[in-house]
Amino acid sequence: MQTKKSAKWAIIMIMVMLVSLVAGCSNKPTSTNTPDVIKLGFLGAKTGSVANYGLPAEKGMKMAIEELNAKGGILGKNLVGIYEDNKGESADIANIATKYITVDKVVAMVGDPCTGLTKVAAEIAQKNQVVIFSGGATGTGVVEIGDYVFRNTLLDSMAVPSVVDWMINTKGWKKIAIITSLNNGYSTALTPVFKDAIQKKGGTIALEDSINDKDTDFTAQVTKLKNAQADVLVFTGYYQEAALIMNEAKKQNLNISMIGGDGLYGQDLAKLGGTAVEEKVIFYCGFSTDKPTPETAKFIDAYKAKFGENPDMFSAQYYDAVMILAKAMTDAKSADPKLFRAELAKLKDYPGVSGSTTFGANREPIKSPVCLLTVKNGAFSLVDKISVK
Amino acid sequence: MFLQQLLNGITLGSTYALIALGYTMVYGIVQLINFAHGEIYMFGAAVGLFLVTVAGFSLVPALLGAMTFCMLLGVLVEKIAYRPLRGKSSRLSALISAIGVSIFLSTFMLLIAGPNTRRYPEVVNPTTYHIGSLQLSSMQIIILLVAALLMIGLNLMIQKTRLGMAMRATSEDLEAAYLMGIDVDRIISLTFAIGSALAGAGGVMVGIYYNAVFPYMGTMVGLKAFSAAVLGGIGSVPGAMLGGITLGILEIMGVAYISSSFKDAIAFGILIIVLLIRPQGLLGKKISKKV
Repeated sequence: MQTKKSAKWAIIMIMVMLVSLVAGCSNKPTSTNTPDVIKLGFLGAKTGSVANYGLPAEKGMKMAIEELNAKGGILGKNLVGIYEDNKGESADIANIATKYITVDKVVAMVGDPCTGLTKVAAEIAQKNQVVIFSGGATGTGVVEIGDYVFRNTLLDSMAVPSVVDWMINTKGWKKIAIITSLNNGYSTALTPVFKDAIQKKGGTIALEDSINDKDTDFTAQVTKLKNAQADVLVFTGYYQEAALIMNEAKKQNLNISMIGGDGLYGQDLAKLGGTAVEEKVIFYCGFSTDKPTPETAKFIDAYKAKFGENPDMFSAQYYDAVMILAKAMTDAKSADPKLFRAELAKLKDYPGVSGSTTFGANREPIKSPVCLLTVKNGAFSLVDKISVK
Repeated sequence: MFLQQLLNGITLGSTYALIALGYTMVYGIVQLINFAHGEIYMFGAAVGLFLVTVAGFSLVPALLGAMTFCMLLGVLVEKIAYRPLRGKSSRLSALISAIGVSIFLSTFMLLIAGPNTRRYPEVVNPTTYHIGSLQLSSMQIIILLVAALLMIGLNLMIQKTRLGMAMRATSEDLEAAYLMGIDVDRIISLTFAIGSALAGAGGVMVGIYYNAVFPYMGTMVGLKAFSAAVLGGIGSVPGAMLGGITLGILEIMGVAYISSSFKDAIAFGILIIVLLIRPQGLLGKKISKKV
């Protein structure tokens, strides 16, 4: 009796699966032939531990698309953005990138904010000859994946030497402790850049330690840090762990500043860190709402009117990415990635809302200046602007 | 620095111990590894956070509220997911059911609260006490005190009360206890209730101490507490306490003197070595097979 029943169930299950497969197939052809619009796929996390990068990025991208469509679109066609949530997971971004390319037939993907995830999507984009344009990947080994891969962000390799110079010569922080998050590709790539710059600028490394993303216990590391008596801590990971490390430092009465990259640029830094991060955590990035250029001021006002909050670096860089893609398509008079990617590579001195952008010979962006931000009264505020040497 | 790290380890370890107790008590009585236990701990942290932020409770009422909630949740899980299977199907089915409950509870929390990490507001005045070069934060003292009180209370209950005696009898031989007139179902419910309340207390304190509450916080901690229970000798209540504190110290010392990258590898490596030498765990009793 028991076996008969389960056999029946198995048959029902198989039938359900078959039906859904057939349904899946029949859906496909309808979505392929829509030549009257140009589709762009958004890459970013809307939930999960890196959602703080993806959410403002999505807003920036939406705003750029709306503005372009209000002016009549590109080449007489309307732009359509598709916004899936990759949760900051490699498996999800791979699925989403494949879906954008094969089902939605996008001409370009904008994103991801994270280096590691961008690389996953870039491999897929390159193979399928679709442009991918990251508005946040700062690490190494991104554009090397292929000639369809672009990014518009301040590179760590360009920003870090200026930042270390500022630490040692402006602040007088010479004994430097450095903490890496080992299961974070961004962090493991950024640490050597910092170490190299510290050595070249004459600083000393007082302590090298590591954590893992999603850890919550940092008591041992902070006790070690306290004993190392460093002038400053460089943390190369993301905002969540940064906030928790600073909380622990406060608990152990350790008064130290933390320097990091734009991985620390998330609203949760202030929310999770509270008073422990106030004017203590300083990070560099390519965008600040303080002392804006005219283009940036216009963008900030429009963004505020639309979303009721200040834009951040990711909203500005995604906005610029969409605008730069539109410019390349207009110049190439085509929305075919094979044609407009060549125009894209020629970009020079583009006056974006996130600073000026030029693509070098290897398609790497050259951006200036570097903004140093900290948390003040729960909001990000500019500490200093330093030019990239 | 060594003493400071030792203290850090004991604090972390006592939270593991609180959770390990739930695993060991349940295993001792029904030979079930309750994989949903880590999620009960997560619910403890979340309910505590809710009580503090939304209802405006202070630490002690929030702690008691979260413990009560977890107690009910633990009993409910036992009633719905384990009791119907008991005696009728293999132990493996109950284990799968436990994994199912674990996934259900964490995704349920994901659904209602979202995936973001939240922090507790400052419920405890963050003062630091100095004893020589040693530093003790107020929260560390609270964790150590609450954990010690709960564990002493649990031991007294098991050793001195009639209910405790019934629990010990049930854990020794469930059928014989039943024949002696012990309401076995009630004792099992009670075991789940106590274990879950302890996990809830652990959840609230860890939430406050590390300032991070999120739906998947129970998964890794659950695994570690389970390992701590095995290390101490699963089924043994003092063993769970010893195992939890040992694992906490091992982990912190691993980070302090060897490398953070091998934190878990060191802790679990030692666990494997101990189990190779003493398969029954540090304080476990050697069980001769009944033939």
